[in-house]
Amino acid sequence: MINLAQKDIAHSLGKFLTTATGVGMLLGVVLIMIGVYRGLVDDASILLKDTRADLWIVQQDTLGPFAESSRIHEDIKHQIKLFKGVKDVSAVTFQSLQLYRNALPIRVFAIGYDIGSFYTPHLLAEGRSIIASHFEIVVDAKTGFKLGERITIGRDIFTVVGVTRDAVSSSGDFMVYFSLSDAQKIQFLSSNEQIRNDRARNSDQGATTSTANAIIATLHDGFDPKEVAQEIERWKHIKVFTQSEQLDILTKNLVERSSKQIGLFTFILLLVASVIISLIIYTMTMGKIKEIAILKLIGASNTTIIKMIVQQSVWLGVLAFIAGNIFSHSVVDLFPKRTILITSDALALLVIVILVSIAGSLFGVKSALKVDPASAIGG
Amino acid sequence: MEHQNSVIKVENISKTYGAGESAVMAVKEASFEIFKGETVALLGPSGSGKTTLITMIGCITEPTGGKLFLDGKIIYDDGWKIHDTRQLRREKIGFIFQSHNLIPFLNVEENVTLVPIMNGLSDEVAKTKAKELLDYLGVGDKLNVKPSQLSGGQSQRVAIARSLANNPKIILADEPTAALDGERALSVMQLLKKLAKEQDVAIVVVTHDDRMIPLFDKIIRVNDGYITKE
Repeated sequence: MINLAQKDIAHSLGKFLTTATGVGMLLGVVLIMIGVYRGLVDDASILLKDTRADLWIVQQDTLGPFAESSRIHEDIKHQIKLFKGVKDVSAVTFQSLQLYRNALPIRVFAIGYDIGSFYTPHLLAEGRSIIASHFEIVVDAKTGFKLGERITIGRDIFTVVGVTRDAVSSSGDFMVYFSLSDAQKIQFLSSNEQIRNDRARNSDQGATTSTANAIIATLHDGFDPKEVAQEIERWKHIKVFTQSEQLDILTKNLVERSSKQIGLFTFILLLVASVIISLIIYTMTMGKIKEIAILKLIGASNTTIIKMIVQQSVWLGVLAFIAGNIFSHSVVDLFPKRTILITSDALALLVIVILVSIAGSLFGVKSALKVDPASAIGG
Repeated sequence: MEHQNSVIKVENISKTYGAGESAVMAVKEASFEIFKGETVALLGPSGSGKTTLITMIGCITEPTGGKLFLDGKIIYDDGWKIHDTRQLRREKIGFIFQSHNLIPFLNVEENVTLVPIMNGLSDEVAKTKAKELLDYLGVGDKLNVKPSQLSGGQSQRVAIARSLANNPKIILADEPTAALDGERALSVMQLLKKLAKEQDVAIVVVTHDDRMIPLFDKIIRVNDGYITKE
């Protein structure tokens, strides 16, 4: 059987490919949006996963540093370590910082940790972890800082001793790492003027350089994190979360709304793509009215005509999908935040595109079925 | 009782477009009969109703009254459609148009084999038949050529091959020579006449061209919807 759709496409291949490329770029944007969402979710959990902690001990009645402000005395870590099942602990601090490189500002998310504890930046790609208690910094490669480079922060100068790859915070800022004491100093130590001012006001900020945002702990094998968490909470005026609970809080509180936003935007883009595919197929069908009239006149069945239109529509969708994939993979690295393109998303989009193409062709089919075969005959 | 060689029989056939005061009767109670191997000209001025008549015979336009028999079977009976007309067209009728109306995205061979393949003929048999027909019509060397690369005369020959490919009982031609010069027009008409005799096909040709009249077996003149002379 002669495949009419294939023959028609081959007849005007350039036009068809150009149209498919245009629609493909739109689908590429859809894929990138899905990738942005994937990147957002993945970024949100990088820091958490990188800690490799089993428990998060945070300020009482708070959800922890990823959801709200949490302050806790650093020395609690020594008491936590005495609980049965606890293997190691580290006090950690988190804060956003603005660094400068070649006079250009770089927004980073700083984590301070106990050097010598179980915690270390696991995404380290070059150099080493922090050894000295002061003036060493580990940075992510995307900050642009190089090994050995010196960075001025506040009153101090830090030397880059290690470089990580793909270490970002839940908001997508590049990570930098300090020793706990340096991080506490940066976050909690007031300037001399501020201290004098506070003394004059007889006020106390309540935060000292022995404050941390959370204590993270690892457990010995065979201990249930939930049970140990309950045990710690029984004895201390603090809140304890397991790693998975902290991940839930992170995704629900921080990512859920963003993902809904991106999801809605992706849905609208898909809707626009559907309308465009429908319009293109409709226009293509209208451009073949005479051929359809001839086909009807010589006895072609409606099935033959519907098949021709639907097949063309599906081909357009599939080619656009391929073009969209090429486009999205070509530009994905240009995006400043991580954009993750995965096969399962692409396959899901392919199924949607095929369904949209079939649905989009229905307008063309409706018009084709109304064509009067007599219009092929001159009067 | 039907004449055993009758291929087209029209009895008091009418066609009215519109309704009420704006109704226009394009064909008024026309009756005639056409037999196997006959070449018949439908002559008449523009707007006389000949195209409506040919589209009713071709089962494209439904009559509003009268009866139409094709190849001995009743197709329309006083406004009732009795047959699957699209299948009937595919199996029994060949069409030739003023502008050849070949499908532009199919090559010559595919244009000719399309209907036989739709009728269930295998690709190989349809291709063999198409080659024979195209050779016979002098365009056998154009099998893989697209219609846009053919001359007017060649295109019309391919259109004739297409109309014959399904072994039709009837060929309906609407001004098949209008786009051709005098010599080529005569050649096409002679070819149609030859085919009618050789393949026992009834050929009905709508034409304005009085020069072709001597070539036809029968002339049906149409004026203002009426058959004025047969």
